[in-house]
Amino acid sequence: MNLAKLLPRMFLGSSRLKKRKLFSVLCLLCVQVALSQQQISGTITDDQGIPVAGASVAEKNTTNGTVSDFDGNFEITTNSSNAVLVFSYLGFKTQEIPVGSSSTINVVMQEDLEQLSEVVVIGYGTQKRADVTSSVATVKSEDFVQGNVKDAAQLIQGKVAGLSVSAPSGDPTEGTQISLRGTSSILGGTNPLVLVDGVPGSLNTVAPEDIASIDVLKDGSATAIYGTRGTNGVIIITTKKGSNDMKSTIEYNGYMSLSTIANKLDFLDANELREKFNEGYEFNGANLEDYGANTDWVDEITRNAYSQVHNLIFRGGNATSNLTASINYRDIEGTFLKSNSEKYTARVSANHAMFDNRLKANIGVILSEQTYNALGDGSSFNPYIYRQALIRNPTEPVKDEEGNWYERDVYFYDNPVAYIQETIGENKFRNSRFDFSLSYDFGDHVTMKGLYTRKGETNIRGFYQTKNHVSTTKNGQDGYASRGTDDYVGNYGQLTLDYDNSFGKHKVTGLVGYNYEDNTNQGFWATNRRFPTDGFTYNNLGSGQGLQLGEANMGSYKDSDKLIAFFARFTYNYDNRYLLMASLRREGSSRFGEDNKWGNFPGVSLGWRIDQESFADNWDWLSNLKLRTGFGVTGINAGSNYQALSGLTYGSYFLNNGQWVRELVPSRNANPDLRWEKKEEFNVGLDFGILDGRINGSVDYYNRTTKDALFNYSVPTPPYFFGTIAANVAEINNKGFEFLLNVTPVKTENFDWTANLTYSTNTNKIVSLSNDEFQLTNDFFDEGYTGEPIQISTHRVQEGQPIGNFYGLKSVDINDDGIWIIERPDGSLVPATEATTDDRQILGNGLPKSYYSWNNTVRYKNWDLMVNLRGALDYEILNFSRMFYENPTITYNTLDSAYDLVYGKTELQDVQRFVSYYVEDGDFLKIDNITLGYTLPKDAIKFAQTFRIYASGLNLATFTSYKGIDPEVNRSGLSPGNDERDKYPSTRTFTLGINFTF
Amino acid sequence: MKNINNKVFSLKTRISILAACAFLVQLGCTDLEEEVFSEVTEASFTPSQSDIVSVMASAYTPMRYVMGWQGWFDLQEEPADMFVTPTRPNGWDDGGTYKRMHFHEWTSTQWQPRNTWINCFNGINSANRVILQIESGQLPVSDEQATAIVAEMRALRALYYSMLVDSHGNVPIIASYSDELPVQSTRTEVYNFIVSELTEVIPSLTETVDVSTYGRMTKWAAYHVLARVYLNSEVYAGTSNWDKVIDACDKIIASGAFELSDSYSDIFSTNNEGNSELVFAIPYDQIFAGQWNAHMKMLLPDHRLVFGMQAQPWGGSSCNPQFIDSYEPNDKRLSDTWLMGDQLNASDGSVVMTLVKEMPSIYDCDFTDGFRCGKYEIEPGATGGLSVDFPFLRYTDVLMMKAEALLRTNKSDEAATIVTQVRTRSFDNLADATVTGAELEGDTTVQYGTLAEDGTIADAGDQTAVPYGRFLDELGWEFAGEARRRTDMIRFGVYQTKSWYNHTPKGDYTTLFPIGLEELNTNTNLGQNPGY
Repeated sequence: MNLAKLLPRMFLGSSRLKKRKLFSVLCLLCVQVALSQQQISGTITDDQGIPVAGASVAEKNTTNGTVSDFDGNFEITTNSSNAVLVFSYLGFKTQEIPVGSSSTINVVMQEDLEQLSEVVVIGYGTQKRADVTSSVATVKSEDFVQGNVKDAAQLIQGKVAGLSVSAPSGDPTEGTQISLRGTSSILGGTNPLVLVDGVPGSLNTVAPEDIASIDVLKDGSATAIYGTRGTNGVIIITTKKGSNDMKSTIEYNGYMSLSTIANKLDFLDANELREKFNEGYEFNGANLEDYGANTDWVDEITRNAYSQVHNLIFRGGNATSNLTASINYRDIEGTFLKSNSEKYTARVSANHAMFDNRLKANIGVILSEQTYNALGDGSSFNPYIYRQALIRNPTEPVKDEEGNWYERDVYFYDNPVAYIQETIGENKFRNSRFDFSLSYDFGDHVTMKGLYTRKGETNIRGFYQTKNHVSTTKNGQDGYASRGTDDYVGNYGQLTLDYDNSFGKHKVTGLVGYNYEDNTNQGFWATNRRFPTDGFTYNNLGSGQGLQLGEANMGSYKDSDKLIAFFARFTYNYDNRYLLMASLRREGSSRFGEDNKWGNFPGVSLGWRIDQESFADNWDWLSNLKLRTGFGVTGINAGSNYQALSGLTYGSYFLNNGQWVRELVPSRNANPDLRWEKKEEFNVGLDFGILDGRINGSVDYYNRTTKDALFNYSVPTPPYFFGTIAANVAEINNKGFEFLLNVTPVKTENFDWTANLTYSTNTNKIVSLSNDEFQLTNDFFDEGYTGEPIQISTHRVQEGQPIGNFYGLKSVDINDDGIWIIERPDGSLVPATEATTDDRQILGNGLPKSYYSWNNTVRYKNWDLMVNLRGALDYEILNFSRMFYENPTITYNTLDSAYDLVYGKTELQDVQRFVSYYVEDGDFLKIDNITLGYTLPKDAIKFAQTFRIYASGLNLATFTSYKGIDPEVNRSGLSPGNDERDKYPSTRTFTLGINFTF
Repeated sequence: MKNINNKVFSLKTRISILAACAFLVQLGCTDLEEEVFSEVTEASFTPSQSDIVSVMASAYTPMRYVMGWQGWFDLQEEPADMFVTPTRPNGWDDGGTYKRMHFHEWTSTQWQPRNTWINCFNGINSANRVILQIESGQLPVSDEQATAIVAEMRALRALYYSMLVDSHGNVPIIASYSDELPVQSTRTEVYNFIVSELTEVIPSLTETVDVSTYGRMTKWAAYHVLARVYLNSEVYAGTSNWDKVIDACDKIIASGAFELSDSYSDIFSTNNEGNSELVFAIPYDQIFAGQWNAHMKMLLPDHRLVFGMQAQPWGGSSCNPQFIDSYEPNDKRLSDTWLMGDQLNASDGSVVMTLVKEMPSIYDCDFTDGFRCGKYEIEPGATGGLSVDFPFLRYTDVLMMKAEALLRTNKSDEAATIVTQVRTRSFDNLADATVTGAELEGDTTVQYGTLAEDGTIADAGDQTAVPYGRFLDELGWEFAGEARRRTDMIRFGVYQTKSWYNHTPKGDYTTLFPIGLEELNTNTNLGQNPGY
């Protein structure tokens, strides 16, 4: 028995181990006592000598078989003397060994690099990788991005072709932005459905350290079984779990990290401003004169952010029960003062088997509590503060001689340090999830499973601006406080019936199921002002006098919705050569119109394993070749509740006989035709593996069209009561290629190098924005907004064009007066002062046409090194910071570059304008993650089974011509590529971590 | 080791489990009815007597856009010769929107005309909806009440149309709710509709003028609107109707319900409700109805200190120096209307800033360039929403409309008597206040022509004498900043022909705004106004 050797393995591939255990229990039950002719025993180990428990040992062409025990030992009595034993186990190559006369056979299992036998999680079940006919990617924990990740999605950043994950904000309470295969909806966003152990959740439901693997269902034939929200893909998170007959273990993961602003903008510092004064520059507003101090305002409100994360997992089990319990603590600091997030997450999952393992039960609980400071009313970060630090005169002091905050009366100009220090706020969130499931194996290939989950999320918020805050010192509010709370409760239930059988060369599985989900949201908030003291902060709202003076606000709401579905799936496998999967989901949502609540979402996919054909027998170099194709229909639910119902609202006030009464006005048109947005997707792919899987990968092509896409159309009143209506009108097409290549260039006893490359493309096009009923005669609408004082839209959404087009004036030159020269669409040139909105044209597109990544893992003896590179190509970014601050005429502090000669000719003297000069090439390459780890030799620490320390860096270096802070900017919505000037800057993080198990 | 065939449950048991589950699924609902909690839906709402005012209110509230962001005030003043919003150190280029207004180079996406369209039709549709609800019996009202409400709604609808006939002219007449897309009418048809509607409902309208009718359409407000459209009938319908102007005005005068306010500034004070001049006011309130932010656009950020405001204004619009120069020396309306020179801190009397008259160029002005409109009282503690009730129709206008009609029908001396009567409160000396008929018939005293950066005339442009131009000046001085200058300038033919500040004339077609792109998009029955 060599537990010391076994346990390290378990944590490298824990989910695999779980299957192994379950399988072993099942097999033990199956073994029947038989007449013996020859008794054979032995040990099964992997190539590192670690015992393989639960491996199947079968006598070929008989029903005789057994499984290895916990220490890899097996015993079998064969029926014939010339027996051949077949050794197999998930993740390893199957071996056939003739027994001959030996009574002891020790088997060394070779790992199957192609992982064809790897289990892939698909909707409502699992499938062997070899049998998968749609586009599904799997990332295991050993391949996760390490370090201070924001959420589950960042674990697989750059690991899945076609899945773009970016972290545009450095706010510790903000997650990542995800998009899969382009933007498929106008109003529906790009967020995929996230399932945590089979139940809809979020990327933050469980701690990243608690995740064993993440599967991504990409194409329509795979996601059609999830109909409703399958359009943007499905991310399936599987948590780390214990298994039966498992020795009790405790696993610890922890790290400390340091984050800094990745890149700072170069604004004039105090000395540079004085130089400008000396050169004769005169400014209005902020930089009116030298106030004598040297203040770096961004430094004053930022810091080196130190964070710590600790994660403990307890696991263990006996023959019929097992338990997993984990607790996670994350204390994350943001780079701005007071910006933070402190979160506790605990998870317990207990499995219990009865009646000879036929009845299996699971009870699970996930609880979390998160607290963070609120610098904005209800939000973690207040972008206004960062803006004030950027634009403030660097010669102003933070405080005056008397110790008061230094303030001046300039338009929208407040001391950012005061703003932070005189604001007190806290948001607290609590999440809970209770799972209960039962499954019963009827024995004749039929299993039934029921699952019920109750989810809840509550938050309570408090916010206070003291009497020293500008809300009082400039705007006379005499203290401002607000409180608010929201409450969410959801019920989720699911009932499935599984069938699984083989008839000779025919393998069949079937699934039918029912799904119920409801969600209820409610909440209220209130504000008040004119407090007698700062001492109460937000804790005594009633003590303010604003309520009596009509200056207090309050509100409350409640809404709910339901989703109900029936679904079925059928798979067929003939001789491991021809594969078929077909599914159908019929789903209804309460949000839709009376006549259109239900939608049907079919999916079908086919696979052909070419390498299994007889003509491929001689192609020894070929280990896998599979052609896949599929078609599926998925839907997007309406964005908010009650959109189909006509609505009335008590609106603004009206003076009636000396009293103010509320008017009653229509707020929404009835739309009984409101129905599902449907996306049809065709996918064709090829999986390949050569040289024993040393080189393997896949290529996919997809073409997806969203029909009946929802958009808020302007409608004439009358006949409509309200001026806009959400209608299913638009059509959007996305197509592209995805390449994945895994290569193991070196694999020796002491040295391994595996490389993983992905490349994906996307071409987006808005096919139509109108139908017979709803028309845009000009086939476009404008989106995005520069904000004050430029006040113009940034993007145009137009038929025949892709989403994300920048639309504005094309600057080509500057005249002697420092005014932009604009090239009109007809090619003629005019000064910007004479250009009109009709002179605008397409200036680029904010969505990358392709993404690529190159991930390397190198192991040398006990050292491991991961280097991940990532990038995006062929897109533009509108640099708001330059558009607003690279201009010497403004009344605030400017970028150093504001005094550069434009087009090498003259300084800019024009007003702030949205012109193509600020639309920059966004292409980039990032050295995103480097991790160096060292695993202590096995006997170095007695109590620990494994002990690894590592150092990691995130967002380490960026190669780009983009002049802003980070070329990974907001890519969601209809105005992607706008690098907003107030964005919380992204961070660079260095991490030192330990993992150990004992 | 157990035998695999050792079943735990019998077949019967298993079938019953399956059946039970199937039943649960059926029971477990396929019901997708929406449950509504914090909203009112058409289906769940039955109006009661107390809801009638709330339902009617929705026809009035759109009027508050008048002094709101890019509202009626901007529509009437930005293209005219008084208000200019130049680029300033803190911005105000705003994508060129104010320059397009000044140059008369707007397109069908210009917001100020769109806001007028949207809000007026919002009010018209609401009025029609109320009428529909009354006539179909959805609202529980007596016959008497029904007649009064329908008359009031029709008069209010005519008021909205009196704004649309001026701004867009060729708009659809929507007199009821139907499933049909509205059809465009000509400007003359719209004019005729307003006249016939008002004439028809006037007998049914209330004559009461007190708190119960404040901010509502009374008989007198209806006569006032009628007089206004008659006054402009030559512009709207091609024929003048001066006698009818006088008739309508005389009805209001004879009612005795109104009289000239003794103090000019009282008309524009925070507590002006109940002022004897107000024929129809739009009530605003800092707390309940805070849409009035026109003052934020005109005042400077530092006026916060001057008036002790609880808000920091934005500092955009100021007065064209040519108009300031036209005032007579002793006219107190100059200082009652404009903030000029030193602006003093409310708490210590120190000079916060000094406003200068000159405004070098629409492309480049300093913060303090140009006098600001201070006509409407800014009380201490004022916020971004002013509490002054906007005097949309006031008694002085009744007198001045009558005077203009008299002037234009060769009764200039009678006109002069009325104008003198109006001027008296604004001059310390009766001799200064007195004007003659001959003076009123004379040319305008505004020095038209574009301005160079130093404030001199760069290009005089059309210098033809303006008939009754001096009367136009009187309207300008009396009603400066009251959201009507554009209409007056068009009636006197100045808007289309003269140059001022950085503006040069663009042609007759600019007297109507283009119909908005979105309106054209959503209603294929609509055609664009000529010239666009």
